[in-house]
Amino acid sequence: MSVKQPKGEVTPGFSTPVGTRRKFFQWVTRMAAGLIGLSLAIPLVGYVISPALKRRDKPWVEVGGVDELTAGQPKQLEYVATIRDGYLEAKTHKAVWAIKQSDGQVTVFSPLCTHLGCGYHWDGDERKFKCPCHGSVYDVSGNVLHGPAPRHLDVLPAKVENGRLLVVYKEFKSGTSTAVEL
Amino acid sequence: MSRLYDWLDSRLKLKSVERTLLDEPIPGGASWIYVFGSATLFLFVLQAVTGMFLAVYYAPTPDHAYDSVQYIENQVTFGWFVRGLHHWGASAMVVAIGLHMLQVFLYGAFKPPRELMWMVGVVLFLIVMMFAFTGYLLPWDQTAYWATQIGINMAGTVPLVGDFLVKVLRGGETLGALTLSRFFAVHVLFLPALILAGIMLHLFILRRVGPAGPWDEAKAAAGSETFYPRQVYMDAVVMLGVFIVLAALATLVPFPLTDKADPSDTSFVPVPEWYFLFYYEFLKHVHGPLEPVATWILPGAAVLVMLFWPFLDWQKKVRAPTSRPIGMALGVLFLVFVFSMLGISLKNLYAVKRVDPAIAHGKALVKQFGCTACHRIHGEGGAIGPELSYVGDRRPEREWHFKHFRNPQSVSPGSIMPKFPLTDQELHDLTSYMLSLRRET
Repeated sequence: MSVKQPKGEVTPGFSTPVGTRRKFFQWVTRMAAGLIGLSLAIPLVGYVISPALKRRDKPWVEVGGVDELTAGQPKQLEYVATIRDGYLEAKTHKAVWAIKQSDGQVTVFSPLCTHLGCGYHWDGDERKFKCPCHGSVYDVSGNVLHGPAPRHLDVLPAKVENGRLLVVYKEFKSGTSTAVEL
Repeated sequence: MSRLYDWLDSRLKLKSVERTLLDEPIPGGASWIYVFGSATLFLFVLQAVTGMFLAVYYAPTPDHAYDSVQYIENQVTFGWFVRGLHHWGASAMVVAIGLHMLQVFLYGAFKPPRELMWMVGVVLFLIVMMFAFTGYLLPWDQTAYWATQIGINMAGTVPLVGDFLVKVLRGGETLGALTLSRFFAVHVLFLPALILAGIMLHLFILRRVGPAGPWDEAKAAAGSETFYPRQVYMDAVVMLGVFIVLAALATLVPFPLTDKADPSDTSFVPVPEWYFLFYYEFLKHVHGPLEPVATWILPGAAVLVMLFWPFLDWQKKVRAPTSRPIGMALGVLFLVFVFSMLGISLKNLYAVKRVDPAIAHGKALVKQFGCTACHRIHGEGGAIGPELSYVGDRRPEREWHFKHFRNPQSVSPGSIMPKFPLTDQELHDLTSYMLSLRRET
């Protein structure tokens, strides 16, 4: 056994392994620590970031019958969806703006102003969408007429099946010139 | 790396700290028999880390606890692994502490001048048992609820303060929301703070007194070896071994939750964790006026004897096991008691006739799907659908129930019962429960 006194120690019979023996013990210790660390770190990182990676499927939700809409006349419809919030199941209530076109197609707008996310309303006399927060004004097709709104109103995916209007609700980043889905 | 180390060293004087930490002399040299303390410390760190990660998703309320643990187990990436490590790690910790104490006892390492290290160690062991007790309730499943119910009731046999103690533990009259949140707080905040202080004290004493080394004084005097690298290497190898075993258990032995805690279901037979089993078995054999003796006088005395053993042991100097036959015999007697109780208990557990788990699960499904919104079962539920209290007498054929649950209208035309999305397992268990609803069993 190759042994020697530790540096600076003069206690008789006090030894420590040296040379390749010492190197071997150090190597095994590092390998063991590395293996444990790595096989813990990988699952734990996955564990923490997994909800961020899961993209929730956004469902088609029925918001009403197409015959309830009058062509060219925006109507606010209630959107109720069941969403999974981790281990909870919750109902979310939103409202969307639906406008039937003359050809029977329906356009659906997100209810949030593209400037900073306030809820806007329809002014039936002036036939304009108006945001009360900073004075943004849109026409019936969602184009910006006045105010700080950086882009057209956000359009939500919509389809008509058996006379029922189905919508997928999405949220977009506010304040950008192009629509960025959140 | 070494340049950074030199830079730090020139300011913080790390090298002398490093020398103090690593060059600790071990009398008689490093040995595989000294690894249990490090293994326990490793397991503690593992419990702390996995526990912190479990807390990321866990919700300590009766409404959400069960669902959040199910979510960790089934939805979160590697959630089953983290929960598995924490579950098996708890058991491993009890084993490691047992082996550590056994080694210290065998080597007479608790004798002067190391009495304080032993006493702090016993306190650490008690804290670990409190961790085990409080952690057991957190998943809020049937096992957790009923095992904790019993554990708390045992505190009620303490004279004078018993009833009060039970209320304090529960945080009120019943085991419920307040119990869960205080057990959670104790498990993740109070006890960790306490055990960290205890561990630091334990290690501080170790470094002030030094390790005991072999019981043979000639061997101990022959020379000592530095803690690093050989003892560290042995500790590291054992830690890796322990980790591999735990990872294998977490992967290969699933530990599913039982059904969600149901205070009204008294048919559930709770079983404590294996390390409480010997005590659980012992309690079965003691009844009547002797009951307090078993529930708290004897355990209390055992803890006190253990705590003060370094002072009670009359042979203060002799460490070799062969020179202290009576002390050894007492130790063996204690182990024989613990293991025979554990053995009997395990044997009884397999012999006991229990409710078919399928029936219990079926009953939980009835609750989960809200069947009693329409059907009445033993006085509980609505009157829209037929009463089911004795449906097993009326419809004894298994096949009928299968068909009926899959498509109610196929066997019962005109029925307004909806189709429920049942898995095959759920279909089977729900049917088992329906068939169990009879006048006579």
